[in-house]
Amino acid sequence: MKEKKTMKRHMGLRATNAISNSVIHVLLVIISIIWLIPFVCIVLQSFRMELTGQVGYVIPKQWGFGNYISLFKTDFTRWYINTFIIALVNAALQTVIVLCMSYTLSRFRFKMRGALMRFMMILGLFPGMLTMIILYRVLKDLGLTESNAVPGLILVYVASSGMGYYVSKGFFDTIPKSLDEAARVDGATRMQVLFKIILPLAKPIVIYTILTAFMAPWGDYVFARYISFNNPVGMNVAVGMYNWLTIDQINKNYTMFCAGGVVVAIPVTILFMCLQRYYVEGVTGGAVKG
Amino acid sequence: MASVKLTKVKKIYDNNVVAVHDFDLEIRDKEFVVFVGPSGCGKSTTLRMIAGLEEISEGTIEIDGEVVNDLQPKDRNIAMVFQNYALYPHMSVYDNIAFSLRLQKVPEDEIYARVTNAAEILGITDYLLRKPRALSGGQRQRVAIGRAMVRNSKVFLMDEPLSNLDAKLRNQMRAEIILLRQKLDTTFVYVTHDQTEAMTLGDRIVIMKDGYIQQVGTPTEVFEMPKNLFVAGFIGAPQMNMFETDLTLENGVYYVKPFGVKLPVDGEKGAALAAKNARPGHVTLGVRPEHVVLAEPGENAIACTLEVNEMMGSELHLHVYTEDETRLVVRVPTIRLDEQTRKCLVAGAKVYITFEGKVMHFFDPETTENLLN
Amino acid sequence: MKRYSDLEFLQLSKWQKFRYRLLCFFLSIPTALKNFFLGIGRFFKNAVLAIGREFKDVAVTFKEGDGKTKLSYLIMGWGCLRRGQILRGLMFLLFEIVFIIYMIFSGGYWISMLPSLGKVGPGETYDAVLDTYVYQYNDNSFKILLYGVLTIFFIIAFLYTWRLNVKQNRIAEQILKSGKRLKSGKDDLRSLVDDQFHKTLLALPLTGILIFTVLPIVFMILVAFTNYDGSHDGFINGLFTWQGLENFRTLLVWNGGGGRSYAATFGEILTWTLIWAVFATFTNYFLGMFVAMMINKKGVRVKKLWRTILVMTIAIPQFISLLYVSKMFAKNGIVNGLLLDLGWINQAIDFWGSTANNGLLARVLVIVINIWIGIPYLMLIATGILMNIPADLYESAKIDGASGWKQYTKITLPYMLFITGPYLLTQFTSNMNNFNVIYLLTGGAPTNAAASWASGNVGYTDLLITWLFKITTGEDAKYYLASVVGIMVFVVVALITLLVYNRLPSVKNEEDFQ
Repeated sequence: MKEKKTMKRHMGLRATNAISNSVIHVLLVIISIIWLIPFVCIVLQSFRMELTGQVGYVIPKQWGFGNYISLFKTDFTRWYINTFIIALVNAALQTVIVLCMSYTLSRFRFKMRGALMRFMMILGLFPGMLTMIILYRVLKDLGLTESNAVPGLILVYVASSGMGYYVSKGFFDTIPKSLDEAARVDGATRMQVLFKIILPLAKPIVIYTILTAFMAPWGDYVFARYISFNNPVGMNVAVGMYNWLTIDQINKNYTMFCAGGVVVAIPVTILFMCLQRYYVEGVTGGAVKG
Repeated sequence: MASVKLTKVKKIYDNNVVAVHDFDLEIRDKEFVVFVGPSGCGKSTTLRMIAGLEEISEGTIEIDGEVVNDLQPKDRNIAMVFQNYALYPHMSVYDNIAFSLRLQKVPEDEIYARVTNAAEILGITDYLLRKPRALSGGQRQRVAIGRAMVRNSKVFLMDEPLSNLDAKLRNQMRAEIILLRQKLDTTFVYVTHDQTEAMTLGDRIVIMKDGYIQQVGTPTEVFEMPKNLFVAGFIGAPQMNMFETDLTLENGVYYVKPFGVKLPVDGEKGAALAAKNARPGHVTLGVRPEHVVLAEPGENAIACTLEVNEMMGSELHLHVYTEDETRLVVRVPTIRLDEQTRKCLVAGAKVYITFEGKVMHFFDPETTENLLN
Repeated sequence: MKRYSDLEFLQLSKWQKFRYRLLCFFLSIPTALKNFFLGIGRFFKNAVLAIGREFKDVAVTFKEGDGKTKLSYLIMGWGCLRRGQILRGLMFLLFEIVFIIYMIFSGGYWISMLPSLGKVGPGETYDAVLDTYVYQYNDNSFKILLYGVLTIFFIIAFLYTWRLNVKQNRIAEQILKSGKRLKSGKDDLRSLVDDQFHKTLLALPLTGILIFTVLPIVFMILVAFTNYDGSHDGFINGLFTWQGLENFRTLLVWNGGGGRSYAATFGEILTWTLIWAVFATFTNYFLGMFVAMMINKKGVRVKKLWRTILVMTIAIPQFISLLYVSKMFAKNGIVNGLLLDLGWINQAIDFWGSTANNGLLARVLVIVINIWIGIPYLMLIATGILMNIPADLYESAKIDGASGWKQYTKITLPYMLFITGPYLLTQFTSNMNNFNVIYLLTGGAPTNAAASWASGNVGYTDLLITWLFKITTGEDAKYYLASVVGIMVFVVVALITLLVYNRLPSVKNEEDFQ
C-alpha cells in the first residue's frame, strides 16, 4: 500500500516536471522567434526588388540582388572601409591601453592608486556627450574632422579608453599575485613578469578586449556624426546609413538599408560567434566583480 | 650561502598598522632558521621583506654583508618556495624550473643538466613535460622546491611550504626537506605556523607574536626554557598546563601550593630559583602534560575528575578538572598502564595526579615572563 | 523613530521588517550626505595641510641645502647635473626652458585674456588699401578658454615638477651624506621597466584621459558659466563671456510666463528619465534572469541552441537593429501591415507619433524594445551567476521542504542581488544616459507640444542625455544650457551612486556569500 502511494507521488513529480518542461520549451521557441524575427525581416527585405520603400508585408514578391548592387554604387563602400579601419586600429590600440591600465591597477600599489581610481569613477559619471562639443572644435583645429574624421575618431576612442579598465582589472585580480612574486624572485623584472607570466595567462581577457573594441565602432553614432559633420567622406556606416532612413530618404533607400545592414552584420557576427566563449567569460566575470 | 642580518626591521602598512616591530636577528651562514607563530604574527611579512616583496619601513636587512633594502627581489640572489607553490600554469614542469636560469641567460645545455639533476633528486623526472595542473599536491610541491633549488642562490626562503598538503604527505615532505637541506648546504629561512615543523626542522626557532619576537633559540632551549607564557603555550602539544598558585619560601626551600597540596620545588629548578633570589608570591605555574603523572591518593596528590579520555594509541590524553574547575591535561604512555587502571579511566572517574619540582615552569603573572630569565 | 534592538527586530512581522528597513534607509540619507560633505571638507583640510608641509619642506631644504641645491631653485636640475645625475638634470632643465618659452610666447597671453574671454569681437574695420570695410575676426573666446585652461594645467605641472626638483636635491644630499651612491641615468631607465614600471604603463593612458576627458570636462563645466551658444560662438559671430550663475538660474528658477519655465521642462524630462531607468533596468534584470533560469532548468534540451540564438543578437550592431525595429513600428511599417492584414485593427497605429497620455504608447514601446535589446546580456550574466550558486544551498532548502518559488525568493534572488548589486547600480546610471536606444528608436518623438518652446524640440521619450544632444545640435545651439543640463545629470547620477553604493550588501559585507 505504502509503496504504491510513494510510487504515485514519484509519478506525479515526473509528470509535473514533464509538463513544465514542455511549457518551457514552447516559451523558448516563442522567445527565439521574437528575437530572430527582425533579423529575418532585414534579410528578406534586402532581397526585395519591387519597391524600395517600406511596405506592410515581409516576403518579397520579386527577389533579386539589386539592392546589394546599388549599395556598392553609393558611398557605402567608403563608410564600410572607414568603419573597418577604425575598428581594426581601435581594437589594437585600445587593447594596449586597457591592458596597461588594468594590469597596473591590479598589480601595483602606488601612492595615488586609490585616488586615481576614485577620480576615474567620478569622471565616468559625467555624461560623455558633453565633451563632444569641445573635442569637435579641437579636432577641427587639428584638421581631423569631416573628410579626415577617421583618424580623429580613432584618437577620440583610444584616448579615453583607459577609463574602461574594470572588466580586465577584475580578471587580472583573479590571477594569484604569488605568480608575480615567484617570477620576481626568479629574477624577472616587472616588465618580464607582464610579458612572460601574466599576458600568456590573460589570453581570454585580451581576446575579450579586442573583440569589444572591434565591435564598438560599428555601432557608434553620436561621436561619429559629430566629427564627420555631414561629410560623407568621413562617415562611418552608422552615420551614413542613418541618413537613408530620414523622412525624405526612406522611400528611396529602405531596402538598401536592409542590404547594408546585412553586409555590416555578417562579418561582425561571424567574428563574434567564433570568439563567443571569451565574450561570455568577460561579460559574466565583469558583472560579478562589479 | 650567506648570512642574513636584520637590524631593527619594522613594517608599517599604509593604514598605520605595524606588522613587525624592531626585528633584530642574525642568521648565520648555512643555518636553518624557522619563524613560527600564530597567523598575523608578522612571520610571513618578515620573510617577504627579506625576499624584497614587501618594502622595509625602517631598519636594514643585509644579505652577505650587503644592505639590500633598495634592491629588487631579482637582484638579491634568493630563492623562495611559496605556500600555494606559485607554479606558472602555462609552462611545463621543465620550463617552470628552467625559468630563472633562462632569465639569467644560462646556456641551454647547462640548464638541461641542472634541471634534470634537480628533478632526479626530487623524483619528478617522469613529469618534466607535464603542466602543473596535471600534478598532485605533493608533486607540485616538489616542482616548487626544484625551481628554487636550481638557482644556487645565497638564501633559501620557504613560506609555509607544507601547509597545503595532507597530514601524511606533510610528514613525508618534512623528512625530505631535512635531506634536501643536507644536500644543498645553504642558508634556510622557513616560515610555519606549525610548532612540530619548527621543532623538527630548525637549527634555531624564532617565535613571534603580534609583530614582536618572543624568543630565539634552539628547539631544546625553547622547549625547556620558554621565555614567557606565550612561548610555553605555543611550543609543545598538547599545550602546557598553566594555573596560578603561590610560591613560598620556607627554610631555604621553595614550595608551590596548587589546588590545596604543597609541593616542594627541589633539584635544579629550586637551585635556579634560589640563584635568581626569586621572591615568594603569586606565580603562574606551568607543567607540561607529559610531566604530570597519575598518583595514588595521598598528601601530594591532587584530586581531579576525568572529563574526556582521548586514546592516541601509544598514549592517553586525559582531560581532567580539579575541584576548583581548573582544566588540566595529563599525557600517560599507554604502556605504563595495566588493564585494570585503563578500564577505570572513564568519564566521571576520580583520578589523582601529581608532578615533580624539576619539571615546573614559573612565570610572573603580571609580565608573563619566566622567573628564571 | 524607534530603533529596534536585534532581538526586537526579529520579533517584527515581515511587513514591519520591510518598513523598518526602508525607514532606516531614508533616515540615513541625511547622515550619508553629511558624511559626504564632511569628507569633502576633510579632503580640503588635508590638502591645505599637505601644501603647508610642502612649503615648509621647501624652506627647510633651502636653509639646510648646499650651493648646488640653492641654485636649483632657480635653474631646475642644476643639483642633479652637478651631482652626476645627468639624465634627470637635463629633463628638469629642458622642462623649465620649454615652460618659460611657452609662457612668454603664448601662455601669458591666454592667461591674461582668461578673465575677459576676449576683448575685441569680430567686426568691420576700414581697410585703407582696399578702401572698403572688411569683416575681420579678432579675439577667439573659445581658444582663450581652452588654452587658458590648458595653460593652468601646464602651470600646475610646472609647479609640481619644480617641487620634485627641490625634493630630489634634498634626497640626493641625504644619500650622499650617508655615503651611498646616487642612482645613475642608467639606473633610472632600468627602473622604468622594473620597480617604476607602473609609471611607464600609465603614462600613455593617463595622458589620453587627461587631454580627451579631463580637459573637455573642465572646459564644459566652465562653459556653464558663460553665454557660449550659436550666436556667441567666440569667433565668427561674436565673443562669449562669463555669466556667473545666470544659466543655473535660467534652468532652475526662471519663469518665462505662459507656463514657460525651464525648471518645469527639466523636471518633466528628469522624471521620465528616472522612470525609464527604473523600468529599463529592472524589466531587463528580472526577465533576463527568468530566461536564464528557463534555459538552465534540468531537462531542458538543446540549451546551447537557445543561448546561441540570444547571444547572436548581441553581435549585430545596435544601430541596425534599433533603426530597423523603429521602422517596423512606423505607421506604414510591417507591424501595422501585419495587424491590418489580420484584421485586428482598421487603422494604422501611430506608435511613435501619438501624444495621448504624454506619449504613453511610445514610452511603453521603448521600454519593451529595450527588453528585446537587453535580455541577451542579462541572460549571459545571470547564467554565469546561477551556475555558481552552490548546489548544497538548494539541497538543504529541498530537505527543509522549500517549494520552487520559495527556493527562488530565498536563495536564487538574494544571491543574484547580492552578487550583481554594483552591476545593477551601474546599469541604472548608464540607462539614465542611454542615448542610443532612445535616439535611434524614436529620436525623442512624439513631440511634447507644451515644451517645444524650449531649446532642442523636446519630445515625450527624450531623456536628459538626448535633450542635451538636441540642444547642442539645435539651431540656436545653446551650449551653455547643454552644459548646465550635463552638470545636473552628473549631480543626479552622483547622488544616486553616493546614496546606494555604500549600502550595497556586496560592498558592505563582502564575505557573506563566500
